[in-house]
Amino acid sequence: MGEHSIVIVGLPGSGKTTFLAALWHLITEHDMDTVLQFEKLGDGDSAHLNAIAARWRDAKVQDRTATSGNRLVSMNLVDTTGNSIRVTFPDTAGEAYGRMWEDRECDVAVAETLKASNVMLFVHSNTIQPPMWVVDDVALSRRMGVPVPEGQAVPWHPKLAPTQVQLVELLQLLGSPPLDVGQRRITVMLSAWDKAAPEELSPAEFLAAKLPLLSQFLRRNTARWTARVYGLSAQGGDYDAIETGAVAKPQAAELRKLDRPSTRIRLVRDSVESHDLTEPLGWIMA
Amino acid sequence: MSDSGSTAIVCSNPDCRVGDTGKCVEGLETSKCPHYGRTPQAMVESANKGSDGIAMPSGGTLSIAEAAKLLRAGEARLIAIIGPTDAGKTSLIAGLYDLFQNGSVAGFDFAGSLSLREFEHICHDARAASRRGTPHINRTPRGEVKFYHLHVGSGEAHDDLALVLGDRAGEEYRSAMDDVSVVAGFAEIVRADALTVLVDGERLLDIGARHNLRSEIIMILRALIEGGAITSLPRIAVVLTKLDLVRQSPEQERALADFANLVETIAQTYSGTFAEVASFTIAASPKNDILPRGAGIPDLLTFWLSKTPPRPTAPADRLPASRVFARLDALEKAEV
Repeated sequence: MGEHSIVIVGLPGSGKTTFLAALWHLITEHDMDTVLQFEKLGDGDSAHLNAIAARWRDAKVQDRTATSGNRLVSMNLVDTTGNSIRVTFPDTAGEAYGRMWEDRECDVAVAETLKASNVMLFVHSNTIQPPMWVVDDVALSRRMGVPVPEGQAVPWHPKLAPTQVQLVELLQLLGSPPLDVGQRRITVMLSAWDKAAPEELSPAEFLAAKLPLLSQFLRRNTARWTARVYGLSAQGGDYDAIETGAVAKPQAAELRKLDRPSTRIRLVRDSVESHDLTEPLGWIMA
Repeated sequence: MSDSGSTAIVCSNPDCRVGDTGKCVEGLETSKCPHYGRTPQAMVESANKGSDGIAMPSGGTLSIAEAAKLLRAGEARLIAIIGPTDAGKTSLIAGLYDLFQNGSVAGFDFAGSLSLREFEHICHDARAASRRGTPHINRTPRGEVKFYHLHVGSGEAHDDLALVLGDRAGEEYRSAMDDVSVVAGFAEIVRADALTVLVDGERLLDIGARHNLRSEIIMILRALIEGGAITSLPRIAVVLTKLDLVRQSPEQERALADFANLVETIAQTYSGTFAEVASFTIAASPKNDILPRGAGIPDLLTFWLSKTPPRPTAPADRLPASRVFARLDALEKAEV
């Protein structure tokens, strides 16, 4: 049996756990053609995967309290030639990666998982914090006839950095001691792709347009990072919040009506679209 | 900390030489500096208290030793940015970095940076997240020169090179006019591939201040040459900053003529000192939208990254080993 570890990284709320939930549903349900297929439950604890997949099927957002902390989850898969593959993923809260940028520290346990050779980098395509400048902000305020926010200066904090800067630094840290393990494959997973679809850009074009610093970085560092860019809608739309009394989302109700939940999943690369979340795994482990 | 002289002056900041120079590297009064009087070990213990994490690279500016290591590692350009206080040195550095936020600059891609966190810090007060009404850039504090790093490239990946930008407080360059001996501490000048002298556009607009500005720049260059820091026939860029203010002023034509005259004077006066004299006009961080942010910087970047002519070989014993500006070369040799 082949053993593979893939580290899933991304800032808080970037869709890492939702991906794992959708992937676990997809392979255990076995109702779609996929590059990799479910083999067996095997040893180990599947409780976490079962719990997050259940929430996903219910079209409810993942409970950040329940998914906080560092967990290792494993899936026993088989490829098209019958070879068994055991893939291990850490399900780590995004705050751990934010801490590497903000506090310049990495938990020992997280550091061990980051030494996995290959990486899936998650970016929520609808919550990208772009760099914005005072001059542009003031000009926009004047055009809109709203007050200029003067006299409320906010001191610098690393968390105010644009999304692309934090992600570039995360990749730089993965390429520097003590986390450096040489050349790696990376899939950039642009989550909530259904929100980005109106832009009518391919995932690679979206990356270049919305995260140009990260796009340049990957283009110039092919010796270290072999990259593919995917657009991923693992939910298919907005899910209901889990808090008591939260307003139900019409889109969640519509998604529940689908006879096969696996069809909620959309994975896009260039002009090719599928439901197969195992395709990036197959490429990354090749 | 004690002023009695019987107790060694200590500082928990390893970059600070307050014990030797009497000056805080942060430019603070000693009574206000949080590191003054604390031992480095105390600071380490304080930082580690309650932490079980692994330290990551700092992402801050580079020391002389770190810059020297980078220069040895591969193709690189070291740029010394010179100018009086408030000429716009940090704005230029921040403005260049911020241009890469939107895409390639002059055909060059961003390939990485060891100073990413500090770039973000100096850019903050020009960013909307600061919630300021006008962009602001903090002055460089007095102290040892610091270096910012950008790795950039165009064409093939193996063509990437390190751009290392030296940043030193304007007061220190200005002090060279009064005492040439301080030039011995300007490590960034002696190794520079290109010097970049900033001419403050706002001061040039001031009919009274322009004469002193011109004099300061000429005198700073003279001090650097007399102090022995400029020996390797570097190229020099003379850069008019704050072009947005110049463009809006009724004094625009006169100021631009003054600038052209200053460039001509430098080219004629120091014709044997520099391999090339080039002039640029920039608006690194305009205070309004009359010019795009970073206007003129792409041309300056192209100048910085162009190939430098071979350096003339200087006698090995030309500079006393104790001179601080020899440290960069010495550190490089030590890395071999």
